Amino acid sequence: MSEQDRDTHQHHPDYWKIYVALVILLAISVVGTFSGILWITFIMAFGVALVKATLVAENFMHLKWEKVIAKWVLGIALILMVLFFAGVSPDIMKDRGLQWVNNADLAATARGIPDEEEPEKGAPASAPDSTKAAAATQTAAAAPAAAPFSPETTFKTVCAACHGPEGEGNGPGAAALNPKPANFTDPAFWTDKTDSVLEKAIRQGGASVGKSSAMPAWGSILTEAQAKQMVAYLHTLKGK
Amino acid sequence: MQTPIATTRSATGIPTGRLAIWWVVASEIVIFGGLLLSYVMHRIGHPEWAIAQAHTHTFVGAFNTFVLLTASFTAVKGHEAAEKGDGKKAAKFLYLTMGGACLFILVKSLEWTSEILEGYTIQANGFWAFYYTAAGLHALHVIAGAIVIFFVARDAAKGRNLQRVEYVGIYWHFVDIIWIFLFPLLYIAK
Repeated sequence: MSEQDRDTHQHHPDYWKIYVALVILLAISVVGTFSGILWITFIMAFGVALVKATLVAENFMHLKWEKVIAKWVLGIALILMVLFFAGVSPDIMKDRGLQWVNNADLAATARGIPDEEEPEKGAPASAPDSTKAAAATQTAAAAPAAAPFSPETTFKTVCAACHGPEGEGNGPGAAALNPKPANFTDPAFWTDKTDSVLEKAIRQGGASVGKSSAMPAWGSILTEAQAKQMVAYLHTLKGK
Repeated sequence: MQTPIATTRSATGIPTGRLAIWWVVASEIVIFGGLLLSYVMHRIGHPEWAIAQAHTHTFVGAFNTFVLLTASFTAVKGHEAAEKGDGKKAAKFLYLTMGGACLFILVKSLEWTSEILEGYTIQANGFWAFYYTAAGLHALHVIAGAIVIFFVARDAAKGRNLQRVEYVGIYWHFVDIIWIFLFPLLYIAK
């Protein structure tokens, strides 16, 4: 041990106290999960994690007594991470923007939420209702409304983004798509499609019926009965 | 006693060896930061991952957090002993830290085995892909840390290169900090 190192580095707090504090904080973050209240769990988990990380960095890693240049080295790395998150997260956290729809993302979400008829294995008897309710809450952003189902409202809020408000295939999202979204007012569209094919395309996506994969699968927010109503609504657009 | 270059040559006021470790930690911040923040973005974009995440074992994660916190505590006690020139005591503390690393890996192996047998493999869905990648990269750091700590402790027991006890400790505490964030991300924020 050189003299220089000795001089710059003789701070040893009571590590036992810090260790006990860390263990108590760990217990708090676990207890938070029992509250069942989301924001309490989150604050207890991530707030506590920040406090724990600070305790370890300052006292165990001795950052508290380290030269300021070391803090800069670490701080710049952290700032780079903030830049990374700010730049990338808007595209990743959302599944659609004004000019784009991430179909793979939507399809993955739809696949991940269990159907009503097959509740999760090992779930209690009352699970279907609660799973359904949870699924409904989770897709609330995509679903038009919790109010009674209206095919027209659903079309105007969900489908119109690409298919256009009148179903002419000219919604704002259509510009970026190739092939273009279906035009339901065009008689040619109706020559070769049965209702069951359309229902399948709505619930399982365009690719499921050999059409463009740009058509997302809406099975997570539309039941079979609702998909039937949607197809009935599409018929009313014909030849408008 | 020879004075090693790692502790005497310095342009920043920080011994060269310790400055090098800070740079290692900075690069690790970018590696783990990129991975963890990518997970956060995808997790927010995928509410359905909550269904997969409900299957992680909170208490196993909490126990492993406790193991790593304890191993960090013994590592810093080793650092304290090394600065007092007591290499033997420092080595004992470092061996305890190494034991903690082994216990952590043992628990993790059992946890992963039970999850994989239940069918939750790395290919099951996006959540499990992140789960195994993030915890796996962290586990590799724990293993690497245990190996380096072994060699540093063996030297320290003979009174050699005592400054390395602190350097390996800084790395180890960082591995601990990563787990402090991984634990709520993977096990608590369900």
